[in-house]
Amino acid sequence: MDSVLIRVLWNNLVSIANEQARALRRTTFSPVVREAGDLAVAVLDRRGRLIANAVTGAPGHINTMRTAGVAFTEAFPADTLRPGDHLITNDPWLASSHFFDITIFSPIFYQGNVVGFIGSCIHHTDVGGYGMGAGARDIHEEGLWIPPLKLYDGDVPDKALHAIIKRNTREPEHVIGDIAAQVSCGRIGSERIVSLMERYGLSDLQRLSDVIIARSEEATRERIRQLPAGTYHGETRFDIPGSDEIILRAAVTIDNVKGEIISDFTESSDASPLGINVCLNYTIAYNAFTMHCCLTPEIPNNNGSMEPFKVIAPEGSILNARYPSPVSARHVVGMHVPMPLMKALYQVTPETVLAESAGGLWSVQIFGRDQSERPFASSMFNFSGGMGARANKNGLSATCYPAGISAVPMEVLEAEMPIVFDRKELIRGTGGDGQYRGGDGQVVEFHLETDKSWMLNAIVSRTAHHSDGLGGAEAGAPGKFEINGKTVTDPRKFVMAPEDRVLLVTPGGGGFGQSK
Amino acid sequence: MADYSIAVDIGGTFTDVVLRHSDGRFWVDKTLTTPHDLTEGFFGAISAVLGKANVSAEMVDDVAVHATTVVTNAVIERRAPKAALLVTAGFRDVLAIRDECRSDIFDNQLEVPEPLISIDLTYGIVERTRADGTIAAQVDRQSVEAVAKELAANGVESVAVCLLNSYKNPANERLVRQILQEKCPGILISLSSDIAPQMREYPRASTTALNAYTAPIVKPYLEALQHGLRRVGFKQDLLIMISSGGVISSDVAATSPVRMIESGPAAGALAAAYYAKRLGLDALLSFDMGGTTAKACFIQNGTPLVTGTFEVDRIYRFQQGSGLPVTMPCIDLIEIGAGGGSIASMDKLKLLAVGPQSAGSNPGPVCYGRGGTMPTVTDADLALGMLDPERFLGGEMALDEDGAQHALARLGQDLGLDQHQVALGIYKLVGESMAAAIRAHATEKGVDWRGVPLLAFGGAGPVHACYVAELLESSTVIYPPMASVLSAFGALVTPVRLDLVRSELTSLAEMNWSIASAHIEAMSQEATRALVKAGCAAGELVISVLADMRYRGQHNELTVPFPSDLIVRRDVVEMKHLFEQIYHRNYGVKLDDLDVEIVAWRVTANGPEHQGSRVEPAKVATTVRNQTRLVRFPGGQSEVPVYSRSALKRHEKLNGPLVIEERETTIIILPGWNVEVDDNGCIHAIRG
Repeated sequence: MDSVLIRVLWNNLVSIANEQARALRRTTFSPVVREAGDLAVAVLDRRGRLIANAVTGAPGHINTMRTAGVAFTEAFPADTLRPGDHLITNDPWLASSHFFDITIFSPIFYQGNVVGFIGSCIHHTDVGGYGMGAGARDIHEEGLWIPPLKLYDGDVPDKALHAIIKRNTREPEHVIGDIAAQVSCGRIGSERIVSLMERYGLSDLQRLSDVIIARSEEATRERIRQLPAGTYHGETRFDIPGSDEIILRAAVTIDNVKGEIISDFTESSDASPLGINVCLNYTIAYNAFTMHCCLTPEIPNNNGSMEPFKVIAPEGSILNARYPSPVSARHVVGMHVPMPLMKALYQVTPETVLAESAGGLWSVQIFGRDQSERPFASSMFNFSGGMGARANKNGLSATCYPAGISAVPMEVLEAEMPIVFDRKELIRGTGGDGQYRGGDGQVVEFHLETDKSWMLNAIVSRTAHHSDGLGGAEAGAPGKFEINGKTVTDPRKFVMAPEDRVLLVTPGGGGFGQSK
Repeated sequence: MADYSIAVDIGGTFTDVVLRHSDGRFWVDKTLTTPHDLTEGFFGAISAVLGKANVSAEMVDDVAVHATTVVTNAVIERRAPKAALLVTAGFRDVLAIRDECRSDIFDNQLEVPEPLISIDLTYGIVERTRADGTIAAQVDRQSVEAVAKELAANGVESVAVCLLNSYKNPANERLVRQILQEKCPGILISLSSDIAPQMREYPRASTTALNAYTAPIVKPYLEALQHGLRRVGFKQDLLIMISSGGVISSDVAATSPVRMIESGPAAGALAAAYYAKRLGLDALLSFDMGGTTAKACFIQNGTPLVTGTFEVDRIYRFQQGSGLPVTMPCIDLIEIGAGGGSIASMDKLKLLAVGPQSAGSNPGPVCYGRGGTMPTVTDADLALGMLDPERFLGGEMALDEDGAQHALARLGQDLGLDQHQVALGIYKLVGESMAAAIRAHATEKGVDWRGVPLLAFGGAGPVHACYVAELLESSTVIYPPMASVLSAFGALVTPVRLDLVRSELTSLAEMNWSIASAHIEAMSQEATRALVKAGCAAGELVISVLADMRYRGQHNELTVPFPSDLIVRRDVVEMKHLFEQIYHRNYGVKLDDLDVEIVAWRVTANGPEHQGSRVEPAKVATTVRNQTRLVRFPGGQSEVPVYSRSALKRHEKLNGPLVIEERETTIIILPGWNVEVDDNGCIHAIRG
C-alpha cells in the first residue's frame, strides 16, 4: 500500500463517519443530539479497534467507542455474526458511562466476511428510572440496563428486546425512532465502506487498519519524546450542591523514552453516594481527549493515537466507580478531568493549555402538566459558564469546555413547555482578570406559567469553588443556584410550586497570565 | 422589441459584465474589482462592454441585472457606520452568547466572530410576547423613547429590533418601530418579524443585526447605481440578484440587504440551472474551483437547492460554526477550502497532506514565480503536464515549471516519493477532499449524490472535474462556454423570484386552516407586490406554497412543496403522505404512529422564464490538432493531443485522454472518457 493510497483511504474512512454523523443528527428526536450534537459515529476494524471517527460534540462518546469495541467483539466474535446483525448496549462500564447513551454496532460484511463495524452512540431522551440527575441511590434506580445483545439477528429485529426497551422509557416513540436511526446509520455507513473497498480493490480492512493505528501511535509517541521527562502535578477542587468537596488530583508522568504519558489520579476523591461517579472508560476518554487537544491536535483520533496515554485510577475512586455506584450525571465530574491535567501540562507546554473553565455544563430538566392537563417532560437543556483563557487569547464567554455542546434556544423551549425565561445575560467581570481574561458566566432566570406543581432536576457545579487562573491570573467567579432567592444545597429533584422562580448564575473561567 | 440585456457581477477579485442580444450574440468584459468604490468598476465595465458592442445605453431595453459582493464586504471589513440593536429587556447578550457552541471541540484555540452590533449599542426594552403569541407585557413607551434619544445623540443611522417570540406575533416590534419613527425620523429600521420571522432567537437576531448593519452602506450604493444608470442613458430599473436565486428590484433589495449576501454565487448556480434545463437534466452539480476555494451546488429539476440558514464571515479557518448565522433562503452552496493555491506538505504522520493552508494568489503557487516556495495544487497540475507553462492565461503569464518540479521533489524526499508521484498524490487528494465534502453535504441534506453530472467551471474546475466525477460515481462532465463570466451570464437568465417564510407551529392533526390561509395569503400578496415592482405582470407570476415539516418532537425540518390544489382542498392526509415520501427518500426510514407537524409556511413567487435565452454557439473553425504533450494521469501516462477550444467543431467527437485549452482554464479529459461538442457550445465528457 503506497503512502498516497493510505492517505486517500484514511480520509475516506473519516469522511464516511462524518457523513453518517450528520445524517444521524438530522434524523434523531433526542433534543441533545439534534440541537447540541451529543453523539458519535465511528468506523472500527473487525477486531473492534477504532480507526476513524466523526468530529462531533462529545469526546466522552467518541473515545468510549474504543472500549465498546472491545466489549462487543468479546461478546460476539466476528465469525459468529451474520449479515443484517446489529448489536446494542448501554452498559456504563463497557460503553459510555451512563444508561442514556445507547451504543449500536453494525458489522460490515464484504464477500461474506466481517471486515469491520460502524458504531454509533447517542444520548437518548429517556431510559426510565430516575431521569437525568444525580439523585439515584444506586445504578439500578437509574433505569434500563441493556447488556451487549443482538438488536437485529440477520435483518430480523429482536421483538422481545424492542418491547422491553419500549416499556421501560417515558418516551417510547422517540427512543425506538432513534434506535432505528442508529440502525439506518450502520446500514448506510456499511454500504459506503463496501463501495470504497470495491473502488480500491481491497478485500479486507486489516492492513489499512494496522497502518492507521501504527502510524498514529508512532506519531503520538514521537511528539511525547520531544517533551521534558518528569512527573508534573495538577489539582482541581470543585463542589456540587449536596456533595462534599470533590478533588481531582493528577500526577502526569512523561516518559520520553517510551513516548508515553501516565496520568495517575490515585489521590482523587472517593466515589460519591450521588449519581456523579465516572466509570474508568469515561475517565480514559477524557484523559485521551485532553492530551490530544494539548499535545497532538493534528494527529487523527483512533486506538493508536490513544494508546500512549495511560490512566491509573484505583477502583472505588470517583474516577473509577464500582458497581453499584450511581453514574447518571457523571459528566459533571468527567468534564473536570481536563482541569488538573492541563495544570500539569502548563509546566510543559503552557502555550497549548487553558486556565480552568467553569467545568460541567449546567443541565436542567423540568416536567409536569400544562394548563390543559397535558404532561410535558423536557429533555435535558444546558447552560454554559465561561471558558478558561488561553496563553494568547481570552476565554470564550458562556461556552463550555471540554464539551462543545450548544444551548437549546429559549424560543424552542418556550414553544414546547410552559416555561418562561425572565433573563439570560452575561455577567461581565465574572471571568478571571489577567493578561488574557477568562470567559464570563451568565445569569439565567426562569419560571413556569402554570397553576400546578412541577418538578425540577438541575445539575450544577462550582457554586463555592472558583475556576483557577494560570500564571498569576485571577480566578473566575463561582456560580449560584437559587430557588426563590434561596441558595440550593440539595442535589435531588424538587417538587416546585407554580409560582417558584429559578435563578442560575454559571461560573466564570480563569484568566491567563498576569495583567499589566 | 427587447433587444439588449446586460448583467454586471462584482466579485471579490473580478468585475464581469455580459451584454446580450436577443438573437444570441453576446459581448463580455472582465476587469479588476475596485474595492475602494465598487460603483467605479461597475460603470467602467458597462462602458467597456457597450464600447465593444458599439451599442448605446439607450439601446439596452431588456433587463439590467447586478450581482454584487457589497454586503459581504461590509460584514467582513466591519467598516459600516454604527448600528443599534433593541431586544427584550433581560436578554441584551443574545449576540454575544450565540448558541454557546464550540464548533471544533478538539481545537483549544477556537475563535468566534465579534457581534456586528456591540453591547453598548444594544438596549433592553420592557415588553414580552409569549410563545403562543399573546402579549404578556405591552411595550413600555417611555423606555423606547429614552432609547430613541440616545440613538439620536449617538448619531445611529440604523437599528435592528428583535424581541422574543416576535416571529409569532409582530405587534410589539411594530409598536417599537412606530415610536422610533416618531422620535428619530429617517432612521433605518429592521424588524426581525419582517426580515426573518422564524423561531430561534439567536439566528433571528443575527440576521436582523446583519440587515441593520449593512443597510446604511447598501442603500446609498444601490441608489448611486440606479442614479448613475439613468445619467448614462439606461431606461430600465436595475434588478438585483439575491441569495435565494432570483432577482428583485433595487429598492426592495435596499430594504433587505441581508437577502443579497450570496448574490454572485447564486448567479453562478442559476447559470448551472439554466444549462440543466437547456440540456434536459433532472439533476446537475455545479462545480466551480478557483484559487483558494471550490464551490458546488446541486441543481434539481432545473432549480438550485435552497437552504434556509447559512453562515457569513467564517472567521476561523472557514469552519462551520465560526461565522454569523443568517436565517434567510439561500442557494445551498457547498464551500470547500480547496483550490489551485492549496499547499501540499508532509504531516505528523509522515503522509502527504493537501491544505488547509493556501498560498492564494499572493505569493501563489511556486510556478507563479512570486516568491511561493511550498508546492501547491497548481504546481502539481503543471508538473503532471496538465497545464502548459507557455499558455497559462492565454500566454500572458509564463509558469516556472522547473521551480514547481523542484518544490515537489523536495517534498518527495521527505516522503520517499519522486516528484511525479507527489504531484499525482496531490491531484488525487485534492479531488478526494472535494468529493468527500460534496458527499457529506449531500448526505446531510438527503440528496442522492451518486451519478449526478457535473458542470465544471472556474480556473481549476475543468482540470479536476473528471476525477471528482469518478469519485462521485458520475459519468458526465459538462464544460459550458463563457465559463469565465458564468455568474454574470447566470444573472441574465434568471427570472424574478422572491421567497418568503413564516413560522407557525401546528400539528397536521389539529390544523387551523384559517391561520394557515392567512399566512399564505399575506405572503402571496407581499411577493406579488415585490415582483410587479420588478417588472412582472401579475398574471405571469407563479406562486408555489411549501411547508417545513417534521415528525412531532424532531427539530430538523424538510421543506415539502405542495401542488396548488392541495391547499385549496385542505387535504392533510395527502400532505402527510408527501412528507413521508420525501422523508423516506432522504433517510431511508418511515416512522409509523407519529404525528407530523408544520413548523413554517413558505411562499415562492416566480416570474416568467426568459425567452430567447439562446446562446450563440462558439465560432466554427477547422479542427487544428495543435500539438501533443506528455500528461501523467491517475493510472498511467501518455502522449495526448492538445486542442484549442475555439477550434472544436460542433458535434465533433474525440476520445480521451486529451487536453482542451481555453484562455482562462484547461480541460483535462482522463483516459476512459470521450468528448462531444453540442449545439449550445457545451463540451460533454462521457465516461466509458
